[in-house]
Amino acid sequence: MRRYMGERIRATVDALEHLVGGLSTAILAVAALLCLLVVFALSLGGAGIPLIPHALRAVRTAADRERGRLSRWGPEVFGAPPVPRRIGPALRDPAVRRELVWLPMHASLGLALGILGLTFPLTGLQSLTFPLWHRLVPPEEGGPGLVSWRIEDLGDAIAVSLLGAVMIGALFGAGQWLARLQAWPGRRLLTPAPGTDLSVRVAELTASRAAALDAHAAELRRIERSLHDGTQNRLVAVTVLLGAARRALTRDPAAGEELFDRAQRAAEEALDELRTVVRGILPPVLDDRGLAGALDGLVAGCALPCLLDVHLPARCAASVEATAYFLVAEALTNAVKHSGATTVAVTVVMDTRTRRLRLSVSDDGRGGADETGGSGLAGMRRRVEAYDGKFELTSPPGGPTTMNVELPCGS
Amino acid sequence: MRIVIAEDDALLREGLALLLRAEGLDVVATADNPAGFLTAVERHQPDVAIVDVRMPPTHTDEGIVAAGEARRRQPGLAVLVLSAYVEHSFATTLLADGADRLGYLLKERVGRVEEFLSALSRVADGGTAVDPDVVGQLLARSRPDSALDRLTPRERDVLSLMAQGLGNTAIAARLFVTEGAVHKNIRSIFAKLDLTPLDHADRRVTAVLRYLEDTQAQP
Repeated sequence: MRRYMGERIRATVDALEHLVGGLSTAILAVAALLCLLVVFALSLGGAGIPLIPHALRAVRTAADRERGRLSRWGPEVFGAPPVPRRIGPALRDPAVRRELVWLPMHASLGLALGILGLTFPLTGLQSLTFPLWHRLVPPEEGGPGLVSWRIEDLGDAIAVSLLGAVMIGALFGAGQWLARLQAWPGRRLLTPAPGTDLSVRVAELTASRAAALDAHAAELRRIERSLHDGTQNRLVAVTVLLGAARRALTRDPAAGEELFDRAQRAAEEALDELRTVVRGILPPVLDDRGLAGALDGLVAGCALPCLLDVHLPARCAASVEATAYFLVAEALTNAVKHSGATTVAVTVVMDTRTRRLRLSVSDDGRGGADETGGSGLAGMRRRVEAYDGKFELTSPPGGPTTMNVELPCGS
Repeated sequence: MRIVIAEDDALLREGLALLLRAEGLDVVATADNPAGFLTAVERHQPDVAIVDVRMPPTHTDEGIVAAGEARRRQPGLAVLVLSAYVEHSFATTLLADGADRLGYLLKERVGRVEEFLSALSRVADGGTAVDPDVVGQLLARSRPDSALDRLTPRERDVLSLMAQGLGNTAIAARLFVTEGAVHKNIRSIFAKLDLTPLDHADRRVTAVLRYLEDTQAQP
């Protein structure tokens, strides 16, 4: 029984959260709808016609928000192909048409349910507790919510309280259904129409998979190169020196001694090389101290004053942690080298609900960082996209520079 | 013997020079990049060049390209290429225009000083030296339907030693057989690979190339 109650409460709180989340996208939908209506009105006179694609993109923005919301909660709602630029194809686009049907539904039903989800529990609680504070309210004012009749005495107040109990009970019973009802238009209309080919989504996935393979291949190439050109060369040098020393022993023992000495030093260098290579693959500090500790160390070693804010309630997959570490290290190096900043702020937060890691590194420098400038930025973006993550860099001339990254935590 | 070394790793470059000088060989110049190597060859006109496959700027096949260019500028230059690992395409590119005065060795072979020196002198004297590992891998990977499949194990051994650049006497000594037997094996190899005595090119080299081409054609 207790477990059942716990589950009911959790489900109801979740439902309320969904309803309120739906409210936010419904407000966006209202804004997009207004935008669309204005453009439509202008188009009747001809002036608004060039604005139609923009209005459709505004609708798309609202729809994408709703898609994101629904994907976080239930089965993923895949994004639609980009809105065509020209008006004719844009209006004929099946995804756009379905969004245009969805928009008024969400702007009305979704909005109403969202408001209900926000006010119903509050009113219910107010009513439930009304007997405790009904004396503070003049009798002719009535009670909370829709209770507008006169409240004469405690009996009336208790009746209101019972009404509140019924409201909260109803919420427990129907909250989930309301949330589902609110999501229903989106789940029906924002998914690709039956029969639509998912080629765009397939292309997206293929590209990100290819990028992952690319990033992997690049990483392997980097490791292979440092092994071949560094460590292996050192070891070959060791064998060359040992071979020379062996032959020298018979002719000139003193020279042989010297060669053995050199061989030993070369072997030590090989060990150093190897350590460097291994560190590059997966910084041991991550293993020893976790991502938070590793970032501490990174910030402590930074030439600029750093503000570090880390909130990591759980560990991520090793490769994700290594990527996060690499990104922060790279961003700090860039800030020190290029930005002329006086301070840097690093934030690393894990969202346990969505299992995503959010990184942000911002400085107060001169900005103007350019991804095409052959800097490490392109490599950073590739590494993030390889994980199906998001990489955002804003760096207007004059600064400041901010890098925002989102990575899925992996298993 | 006058030698130019092209190797971008400083320690290895110095080690090689040290080793060769200790053997009384004349290392006239060393270079750490392809351009420097070509200049050194032009200036010193060496007998042999020892070249690392991977050199700056891209660390892929700059050494092979530079070696080819040096041989174009100075015909008759003997070149011994050192490679970190077995790479078929390098071996075939290198040997495609004839295998005279060419060698392709794995780097670690240098530590076996006697073998390294004998390969070096073989190449300088106009012969060929292909690393036993390279030949071994090529043999192991030959296509199932290839002409090489028709060779007996003994003939494969002989061909493998031929590919390394050994002469009949040396092959006989390695395999503990008479020179006559080796001779018979070689005739049989030529026959199975359809190399007639009228072929213009050196049949020994062609036989080796047949291997390399055969194995390179695989995925």
